[in-house]
Amino acid sequence: MAGMKTASGDYIDSSWELRVFVGEEDPEAESVTLRVTGESHIGGVLLKIVEQINRKQDWSDHAIWWEQKRQWLLQTHWTLDKYGILADARLFFGPQHRPVVLRLPNRRALRLRASFSQPLFQAVAAICRLLSIRHPEELSLLRAPEKKEKKKKEKEPEEELYDLSKVVLAGGVAPALFRGMPAHFSDSAQTEACYHMLSRPQPPPDPLLLQRLPRPSSLSDKTQLHSRWLDSSRCLMQQGIKAGDILWLRFKYYSFFDLDPKTDPVRLTQLYEQARWDLLLEEIDCTEEEMMVFAALQYHINKLSQSGEVGEPAGTDPGLDDLDAALSNLEVKLEGSAPTDVLDSLTTIPELKDHLRIFRIPRRPRKLTLKGYRQHWVVFKETTLSYYKSQDEAPGDPIQQLNLKGCEVVPDVNVSGQKFCIKLLVPSPEGMSEIYLRCQDEQQYARWMAGCRLASKGRTMADSSYTSEVQAILAFLSLQRTGGGGPGNHPQGPDASAEGLNPYGLVAPRFQRKFKAKQLIPRILEAQNVAQLSLAEAQLRFIQAWQSLPDFGISYVMVRFKGSRKDEILGIANNRLIRIDLAVGDVVKTWRFSNMRQWNVNWDIRQVAIEFDEHINVAFSCVSASCRIVHEYIGGYIFLSTRERARGEELDEDLFLQLTGGHEAF
Amino acid sequence: MGESSEDIDQMFSTLLGEMDLLTQSLGVDTLPPPDPNPPRAEFNYSVGFKDLNESLNALEDQDLDALMADLVADISEAEQRTIQAQKESLQNQHHSASLQASNFSGAASLGYGTNVAATGISQYEDDLPPPPADPVLDLPLPPPPPEPLSQEEEEAQAKADKIKLALEKLKEAKVKKLVIKVHMNDNSTKSLMVDERQLARDVLDNLFEKTHCDCNVDWCLYEIYPELQIERFFEDHENVVEVLSDWTRDTENKILFLEKEEKYAVFKNPQNFYLDNRGKKESKETNEKMNAKNKESLLEESFCGTSIIVPELEGALYLKEDGKKSWKRRYFLLRASGIYYVPKGKTKTSRDLACFIQFENVNIYYGTQHKMKYKAPTDYCFVLKHPQIQKESQYIKYLCCDDARTLNQWVMGIRIAKYGKTLYDNYQRAVAKAGLASRWTDLGTVNAAAPAQPSTGPKTGTTQPNGQIPQATHSVSAVLQEAQRHAETSKNATVTRLQDKKPALRNHHDPAVPRAPHAPKSSLPPPPPVRRSSDTSGSPATPPKAKGTGGGGFPAPPDDFLPPPPPPPPLDDPELPPPPPDFMEPPPDFVPPPPPSYAGTAGSELPPPPPPPPAPAPAPDSARPSPAVAKRPPVPPKRQENPGHPGGAGGGEQDFMSDLMKALQKKRGNVS
Repeated sequence: MAGMKTASGDYIDSSWELRVFVGEEDPEAESVTLRVTGESHIGGVLLKIVEQINRKQDWSDHAIWWEQKRQWLLQTHWTLDKYGILADARLFFGPQHRPVVLRLPNRRALRLRASFSQPLFQAVAAICRLLSIRHPEELSLLRAPEKKEKKKKEKEPEEELYDLSKVVLAGGVAPALFRGMPAHFSDSAQTEACYHMLSRPQPPPDPLLLQRLPRPSSLSDKTQLHSRWLDSSRCLMQQGIKAGDILWLRFKYYSFFDLDPKTDPVRLTQLYEQARWDLLLEEIDCTEEEMMVFAALQYHINKLSQSGEVGEPAGTDPGLDDLDAALSNLEVKLEGSAPTDVLDSLTTIPELKDHLRIFRIPRRPRKLTLKGYRQHWVVFKETTLSYYKSQDEAPGDPIQQLNLKGCEVVPDVNVSGQKFCIKLLVPSPEGMSEIYLRCQDEQQYARWMAGCRLASKGRTMADSSYTSEVQAILAFLSLQRTGGGGPGNHPQGPDASAEGLNPYGLVAPRFQRKFKAKQLIPRILEAQNVAQLSLAEAQLRFIQAWQSLPDFGISYVMVRFKGSRKDEILGIANNRLIRIDLAVGDVVKTWRFSNMRQWNVNWDIRQVAIEFDEHINVAFSCVSASCRIVHEYIGGYIFLSTRERARGEELDEDLFLQLTGGHEAF
Repeated sequence: MGESSEDIDQMFSTLLGEMDLLTQSLGVDTLPPPDPNPPRAEFNYSVGFKDLNESLNALEDQDLDALMADLVADISEAEQRTIQAQKESLQNQHHSASLQASNFSGAASLGYGTNVAATGISQYEDDLPPPPADPVLDLPLPPPPPEPLSQEEEEAQAKADKIKLALEKLKEAKVKKLVIKVHMNDNSTKSLMVDERQLARDVLDNLFEKTHCDCNVDWCLYEIYPELQIERFFEDHENVVEVLSDWTRDTENKILFLEKEEKYAVFKNPQNFYLDNRGKKESKETNEKMNAKNKESLLEESFCGTSIIVPELEGALYLKEDGKKSWKRRYFLLRASGIYYVPKGKTKTSRDLACFIQFENVNIYYGTQHKMKYKAPTDYCFVLKHPQIQKESQYIKYLCCDDARTLNQWVMGIRIAKYGKTLYDNYQRAVAKAGLASRWTDLGTVNAAAPAQPSTGPKTGTTQPNGQIPQATHSVSAVLQEAQRHAETSKNATVTRLQDKKPALRNHHDPAVPRAPHAPKSSLPPPPPVRRSSDTSGSPATPPKAKGTGGGGFPAPPDDFLPPPPPPPPLDDPELPPPPPDFMEPPPDFVPPPPPSYAGTAGSELPPPPPPPPAPAPAPDSARPSPAVAKRPPVPPKRQENPGHPGGAGGGEQDFMSDLMKALQKKRGNVS
């Protein structure tokens, strides 16, 4: 025991005084002074500190941070000597878990307590467990970008901050489900709301905000983001993060293992959000056609999540329900006890009959013989459209009969102009015939449009999806009515989004410049029809479409290859490294990880050297990000590729750190 | 040709030998010809082969004759029907799957049928299930389980059977069939019956069994449009009838059965498509060297992720200008969402790209000799068009590549983008099939060695080496596993299909089992409710009958029962062959219970005049169909529409029906 002294007050052991500040790295903080020897164990020191403070409090989360060495003293059985602590050490006795504000992939802010003492890898795993996101190895944290001092302090209109800092999760156990959400979320209304924020897609952003947010204008801009990744082998404290700092939580490695909509609502949603923001902020480029599909999916997803159809009872096979229904119907029928119309309703294929105006473009257009629209009696049954001169002639031969199976259906709608046309490109052995059907109003249009859409896929209006298709079309039309505004009106006022939706919120800003809203909506409408998807399916579809973009999953870093005089871009994807010309953006060379023998980092000269099969050697120094980030990316992808389904979610952390760490030695 | 008849011979004896060894799983696959050709005829031939030793060609002709006879029979029946069902005969569109066309198309099909040789595709679409044409009919025969049942069980059972029956009929009524002529690579042709539920894979399997080829994965159905000079392979998951129904009546299009290594080239050498550095020579040598493990992981990466990866493909291609014979060079890029090009003065960044075409509504074809026909810069052309377009049209897109390698990359890339993982699934099934076939061949040669000594020589000479080809590419154990898996899956598949057929089967035989109920009921109009209630009343009769016949012949439960049916013919061989009437008799015996309930049903619909029994007389093969046929036409249209209702048309319906079957089975399981 340190501190033995003689009666005169002289210390007779080799003890010395150690000053420890209480609190978080605050020099003003209260401090205690202890008498210790080099042999004192950290555990003993902790005990003494608590005794000295003499305050009733739960100290279990507290530990000592050694400021000069930027190190936690976590080994309680180590002695001060072993740590090399002398009297001049500045030690802080503070909590290991501190609140931080996480900026989630969906751009919402969430306050929670993160571990400041564990390696980031573990800290992220704990955060993900709290948020119930599986496979935390795919995520990591970034520093928030430094705020450029804005001249006007205009924005930040009191953003809602979700708070989970009170929630403490028992270690080791997978959180049980309670009321459809992990139990720790169901404590209070507040945490419940937080879970909904996590597991449900957010409404589309305000187009104005979208325009204001920074977007990368070049490849080198895209490298900026990747310089901010935190080091996963060191703890937050070591990386200079302070309590209350803002950190971004993002999917870092684009290799999503075992994506299962049923078990992963939060993960799926956050991934969808990240994909969505990637696209909206043009972090990843896509073509116009692809953007329209993305927009259609977003619209649909938003509609579902707004209407609260999240529980998705449709998750079970709807076909099977129909089946049961059909079966029981038949059964009833066989016993002869049910009214006869049951079978009738089951077997009758609904048909549409109406007066429509039709405009046919002849296959070989003669000169200017545009006759315009003519009124016809049109009958739409099964997948066949027949039209007659008049209703009286209907039992006879139609003027023309078209089987819509396999045809292309394009809306040609202008709500404000009260124009509701359906353009049909109907294939025939000789080619395509182009036909326009003009409907009188929205209702009629929606019914016929839905019928045409189903028919083009070979289904009839008896299909269970018919009604929802009609509803979806009507809903979209009403969106156009409200969102479209007057002709040429740039719908950015608050009233434009009164209906809650503005098509500009669904597409990247460059399309805001390219299209007027009323042009955009039909384009979104005509893009692949998605009305039948459940929320999770639609999100998954969105993610898949995102993944099939050629530039998907490439993280860009600016490097300088050995022997080269100019900076180039190194793209890191889950299976390859890509050398990209900085100016033009062309791919110069691709190396696949499967051919990689080894990679080495020279920390002194910040150079990464990689050896591939057949004695191909590549070396580069890192310009935009530290070579640690490149190293970690490569190691991380190698690690992710070792995952196996059989092992489930258990993680080989050592392997990860071995693959991504290794620079502490220097 | 004599050799092939011996092959069949041998197949049968092999089969017999194996029957004991193999459990149902394999049994399904070894089931002799789930042959789309008139099974009855086939039946006879296989039985009589030892004596006849006919050439395969002759057999084909006979098949055709039988087919024709059926058709004629159908038509005469149909004519009678026309009076009753004049209204319905209006819509005789051969495209429209509309059922009302039935009577008429029956007639139309006569003309069609005679065309068989000339056009290569003859078609009769009908709700008349021409019994002889139905492949699996005689073979499977797995009907209601003849196990002893309690009263309630019996009732429940009967009810379930009836529901099933009704559903089957609904379905059967709608099945459309085509006779197709397939050109073999030795310039011969084979005619097969294809029904609308069959996928290209099923047809290939049929052809494998008919031709005893090596079944490797390169075999494909190949469609050729002589007029447009384009061609392509059927993807294994494509519905054959659906594709063929896009052809015009007077078409010169042909279907070929041949090997094309391009079909699954990407799975054999994925590096050629995924790792090809365009135009860089260095890569070419390294490409060939990729080892199996790397290939596998490359495939895994490309096809087994959350979304598949479409090969990155871009480059200058020639595009034929609309309506002209001039070709313009443009820079094209392949993306999962379609083909894009770089507009003039723009860069190839995503945002500048213009969409050239999306794949949803087009198929991809190889163009042949377009250099001649359209003055293409090279002969490496591919064509994108809507499958329904059959003539020259501005809607057909012609593209031309610099060399064969580029062409293959584009065609494969587009297929990957269009079909996605399905392509990989198809490949795996094909591999499984190939593995199974080679295994089967091996077994066959071993087992058959004793009985068929003379034929083994030539046979091993031809089949076995081929059979080993697949093994060269895959490890043996893998093949076996695959084969096993295949056996299992196909068992399930077959089971459902067999059951699908059941009613038709009963159809067949109920003429031979004339029932009291049918006379009175025949006068009834055919409103469905009445008919069904008659079913119910008839049901009590079912079980005894089932036990009587089914028990006598084959007491096994229906589903597990698959393998046995085929053997009886050979067993009965001695007695059977000569007089067709004799031949007629046995089926009811080993064919389990021609459910009387059905007979009642059928009877109710039977028109007064032709009492079924007389049929057996001289030409059973052709005469028999008529009663069966006769039953159909009056089927109330309502019922026919039923299947279309819940699942929509086509594939959807099919799924629906098989699901329904499953549901039924489950239900029955619960009851008993």
